[in-house]
Amino acid sequence: MTTDLNQFPQLDKTKFEQRGIQLEIGVPVTCAVSIGNYIAAGFGDGTIRIFSSGEKHKTLKAHKGVILCMAKDGDNILTGGDDGYFLKISLNGEINEITNFGSRWVDHVAAHNGNLVCSSGKVVYYWDKNKKEPKSLNHDSTIGGLAFDAKGRRLAVSRYGGVTVWKKDYSNKWKSTKLDWKGSHNKVSFSPDGKYLVTSMQENVLRCWRLKDKLDFAMSGYGSKVKSFAFIYDTSYLATSGAIDAICWPFDGEGPMGRKPICLPYIGNKQVTFIEPFPDEKAIFAGLSDGSVFLSQIENENNTIIIRSFTGSEVSAIAMTDDKSSIFIGDMSGNTLWTSIWDQ
Amino acid sequence: MENKHQVPVTVLTGFLGAGKTTLLNRILTEQHGQKYAVIVNEFGEQGIDNDLVVDADEEVFEMNNGCICCTVRGDLIRILSGLMKRADKLDAIIVETTGLADPAPVAQTFFVDQDVANKTKLDAIVTVADAVHLSSQIEDHHEAEEQIAFGDVILLNKIDLVKDENIDVVTKRIRKINPFAKIIKTTKCGAPLKEILNLDAFSLKRILEVEPDFLESDHDHEHDDDVTSLSFVSEKPLDMEKFQNWFGKLLQTKGQDIMRTKGILDFKGENDRYVFQGVHMLMDASPMGKWPDDKERSSRLVFIGRNLETMNLKEGFEACKSE
Repeated sequence: MTTDLNQFPQLDKTKFEQRGIQLEIGVPVTCAVSIGNYIAAGFGDGTIRIFSSGEKHKTLKAHKGVILCMAKDGDNILTGGDDGYFLKISLNGEINEITNFGSRWVDHVAAHNGNLVCSSGKVVYYWDKNKKEPKSLNHDSTIGGLAFDAKGRRLAVSRYGGVTVWKKDYSNKWKSTKLDWKGSHNKVSFSPDGKYLVTSMQENVLRCWRLKDKLDFAMSGYGSKVKSFAFIYDTSYLATSGAIDAICWPFDGEGPMGRKPICLPYIGNKQVTFIEPFPDEKAIFAGLSDGSVFLSQIENENNTIIIRSFTGSEVSAIAMTDDKSSIFIGDMSGNTLWTSIWDQ
Repeated sequence: MENKHQVPVTVLTGFLGAGKTTLLNRILTEQHGQKYAVIVNEFGEQGIDNDLVVDADEEVFEMNNGCICCTVRGDLIRILSGLMKRADKLDAIIVETTGLADPAPVAQTFFVDQDVANKTKLDAIVTVADAVHLSSQIEDHHEAEEQIAFGDVILLNKIDLVKDENIDVVTKRIRKINPFAKIIKTTKCGAPLKEILNLDAFSLKRILEVEPDFLESDHDHEHDDDVTSLSFVSEKPLDMEKFQNWFGKLLQTKGQDIMRTKGILDFKGENDRYVFQGVHMLMDASPMGKWPDDKERSSRLVFIGRNLETMNLKEGFEACKSE
């Protein structure tokens, strides 16, 4: 892809770019997770790169094709790929195959307290940490997203027509409840307080259910598909991509109904494509379609700083280490930045 | 952004046994120096084993956009966005549909999903037809007729098994349904791949280049629900507002029966040629530069669909002519 650099404002390198490590891998960054003070990033050629401060990053060849999804399982990395493999990878680079589905893709993975799940097509496979064989949970259509609640008791599976929430009953049998809304549901997440369930849809809209009474409502007004969202500062806000501002819906008190979102604007009028929370703060990292990344305080829109200037390619991954010292940024052309956040 | 790189996607359709798998195997095994990914459905006629083959469930779903015939292929949105993350760049993607599938949702996916439209483009719908059985399949299965109606290219396959005069009969039958499609007669789908892939048939520019093979409109078809085509020409410029009103309402109310539309329009007071093409209710339209000096200005409009004779198309079109 060619980019006309003249159409972008000419910016100097940010201080984060100056002190950090920038790589041009040339392959899309598809996902990234933090594992302690390490960041694992997945790429479109099946490689994983593990970053930690003070060391050179480590590169592993994990999949034959695209790494489609990634999750943290304790000190390990879980990955699913378009080669059909579901893998568990340790930070030292030991790769274990959990299963493989042949020509079927592993679209989503998640983990909680040693229990693992992945989805391939219409089926979710659940590995209880004490069992070898997975339990299959079947659905009528292809799965758009997977999420555990904060306690790991419920598993939400989004699909066409709504969300199926799975829960084990007292006799350890899986029971499901359906939350229906017409249309195709993609990414899904419980709010950290467990009161809400949110999905992003094929249309430019989010759907939300208040779980105590199954009241459902839409959050709309987006200019494009909402590909990324995250709850901020426990369940204070839901920050979302899909517009030229980062749209932050208030979820405290009685929730967002009848309340206006806070819209955080960025220079350049580019779409926000990726949102990552700054842990324990009312602040977000917002990645844009031109590759730039900003850190903003939600309740003070004047307090925004630029972390990475434009690259011309959509931001597809941001992850911060658990000690909040460093961040990783990646985009669809494989430009990465690994940098410490704080001035030395 | 102009000139962005979009991977062309060919939709391969055709009735069971027509020869789709033969063609796919050729695409995957021939030495052409190109990298093609093939998306097949799990109920395909026979398994093809290759790294670049992706299994899909044909999942057709409705969009919540108030457009009643706007169905898309959800699995395609997912698979195409996954393929775009690959390290190796693909030269083309081929999507096989099952023999009984309606090609419209596949085509509509490229109009409706922004990410798909940014990174890929619908190249052409290629229909493989069995020269031996097509006539009876059209009589018995509306899907066979629809696949012909949607095709940009029709591979009339197995002609070695049919007498010459019967080939003419089948060709005429195809032409009656679809005057636009390029018909390629083959045995074992042996057409050069450059006549099948990378045709850019959905680009508005191409519409200017391809002169439809107009048939004299005859209305003596056997069933009321036959798929037919109607075309109109006007030497007199059209009134833009009248046309937009008429055409917009027409697609809104009759979009389910109108399968494909194409046209080049001459509006009064406008220097540019307006070109459009549509699949059901969804349309892509744009001014395409000035009329060439050596060409007479005129408006041409083609419809392919069912029950066209009930839509007063001629009267509607006539009424759009400028005063």
